Amino acid sequence: MLRLDPAALGELVAGRRVAMVSGTNGKTTTTHFIAAAVREALGPDTHRLVHNADGANLHGGIASELSQQPRADLAVLETDERVVADLVRLGRPEVLVLLNFSRDQLDRHHEIKGLGRSWRDALAAAGEDGPVVVANADEPLIVWAAQTARKVVWVDTATTWTQDASLCPQCGAPLLREQPERGADGTLTAGGDWRCSRCDLAQPPAAYRVVGDTVVRPDGSSVTPQLNVPGGFNVSNAACALAAAELLGVDPEAALTGMRTVTAPAGRFGTATISGSTARLLLAKNPAGWAEALPLATSETVVLAIDSAAADGRDVSWLWDVEYEQLTGRSVVATGPRAQDLAVRLAYAGVEHRTVPDLAEALRGHPAPVDVVATYTPFQRLRKLGGL
Amino acid sequence: MSTPSLMNDVAGTYGPGDGPRVEVVLVYQSLLGIYGDRGNATVLARRLAWRGFDAVLTVVEPGDPLPDTGQVYLLGGGEDAAQISAVRALQADGGLHRAVDRGAVVFAVCAGYQIAGRTFTVGDPTVPGGEDQVIEGLGLLDVTTTRGPRRAVGEILSRWRRSSGAPDDADDSALLSGFENHGGWTRLGPDAQPLADVEVGVGNCADGTEGAVNGTVIGTYPHGPVLARNPALADHLLELALGEELAPLPRPEIDALRRQRLAAVRHLR
Repeated sequence: MLRLDPAALGELVAGRRVAMVSGTNGKTTTTHFIAAAVREALGPDTHRLVHNADGANLHGGIASELSQQPRADLAVLETDERVVADLVRLGRPEVLVLLNFSRDQLDRHHEIKGLGRSWRDALAAAGEDGPVVVANADEPLIVWAAQTARKVVWVDTATTWTQDASLCPQCGAPLLREQPERGADGTLTAGGDWRCSRCDLAQPPAAYRVVGDTVVRPDGSSVTPQLNVPGGFNVSNAACALAAAELLGVDPEAALTGMRTVTAPAGRFGTATISGSTARLLLAKNPAGWAEALPLATSETVVLAIDSAAADGRDVSWLWDVEYEQLTGRSVVATGPRAQDLAVRLAYAGVEHRTVPDLAEALRGHPAPVDVVATYTPFQRLRKLGGL
Repeated sequence: MSTPSLMNDVAGTYGPGDGPRVEVVLVYQSLLGIYGDRGNATVLARRLAWRGFDAVLTVVEPGDPLPDTGQVYLLGGGEDAAQISAVRALQADGGLHRAVDRGAVVFAVCAGYQIAGRTFTVGDPTVPGGEDQVIEGLGLLDVTTTRGPRRAVGEILSRWRRSSGAPDDADDSALLSGFENHGGWTRLGPDAQPLADVEVGVGNCADGTEGAVNGTVIGTYPHGPVLARNPALADHLLELALGEELAPLPRPEIDALRRQRLAAVRHLR
């Protein structure tokens, strides 16, 4: 791809109202939620909206989308973590949604704190011209990065994944967490508030709160998103999207009506026919994403597709940070170029499996619908195979 | 308030448990756990259980004392701040030194390997306040780590010296495969022996050696996790800890993975 002059991106954004979304997991779906909310509010004027719906979220992808719709005055942009600082500087966004920070592609981003620092510095530099940030209060690194923004709307997303944050991003001391809440069946229902054991960094009080299937708004009213995409993490994404939509001036009921039209954002959670089998496609890019996606894979046979191309991360060691043990007793098909690494992981997890490296072949001959969980590169190939 | 309790998924008792009890201790997963190295603990516990041992996997976090009952202690890779936090907690605890004194095995990967040495250097010259800091290690291995001229990232293949201390050319079972990802370059002192000789990759400091051995303390760079990709090394650790020879454990899926990774990395050469 052409190396884009960052100034060109600034020119393409100029004159538009911009909302951007970043984070490791959930940015495509959350961006779709916000775009759908805005579209609902625009009614017949949807041509005013530009949205990089297919997840092309680097400088070039964003610029290409913007250049195709020069007249759209509202831009809802999924933004790669590495592009956030540039776009804050050049794009003067009105709203910036920061979802979460998780280790991902460690062969390229060996330390996630550096990315957080780039966000923090960009927001500090933007000062009073900077965006209002909608930020996940459950994530210490997000909170630290967002602190320098002129205004932050904190969202308590009821996140339960804590394995990427054990030290304070501000001072390096251990973080403390309240005991997480558990439901009657023992599953985690809330991650528990956190604070630093040494400095003053702590979970900020939230304006929006996820409570089970509902979102509590700043005025105390409770709304039920009733989404058409699965998973508690999508309720969290919807809470962030709702906050962003309201900042853009969208009525909350209209925002939710719009969000309910989102069914398969860039193929995620979509169902397709591949090699004659019915397959639902779930994307999981890192241990945090797998922790969310695997419980959604409820079919008797589950297909897991692994690759180690640049977009997947070339080191597949992360397979050992995913609790595949939960698939014990199910029928698992390991596929993709790194299927054999997964096969060894499954053997040590005590999970019965077949290894079929070819994706199309792995999807052949399933009489009942199968859930497929895939890393980025095989996910895109499966979308193509299924026409999603 | 309490520190997060992680790893509930892997800690516990493995296998039938008719045989002797063997305890594997995974040290500070919350600090040294970002590169999947907990897999080394899963591999050791399972390989013990498959052989009928009563395998117990204990996960210990900073603030809790290291148990004095373990036969194998595992350290993994982590970020700079976590690495400093981990080494200070281990120095305060002292349990790892006691374990080595009574002959237990310490297997340390990447940041864990650096921690086990005499000193290591952290810092990020690209950020303000990121100046180099030299940190005192545990001194369990006669190695010193400083910042290298470039980050070593990629598949690595080395030939294990086994116990003989000489390269073992007999067959592919002595080849160690993994993925290295480290900015520190490690140099061995006179008391440490290299674990292996590099065929593809950087290893300790691009001097042709990889890892270090001091008695029952072994340090190495590769993730993978390295014991999942190299079952012979996993069994060597167990034999060292138990003082007995173990029967082979044929697993066709591991053989297939090794063939695949060796072919892939040799293609890079």
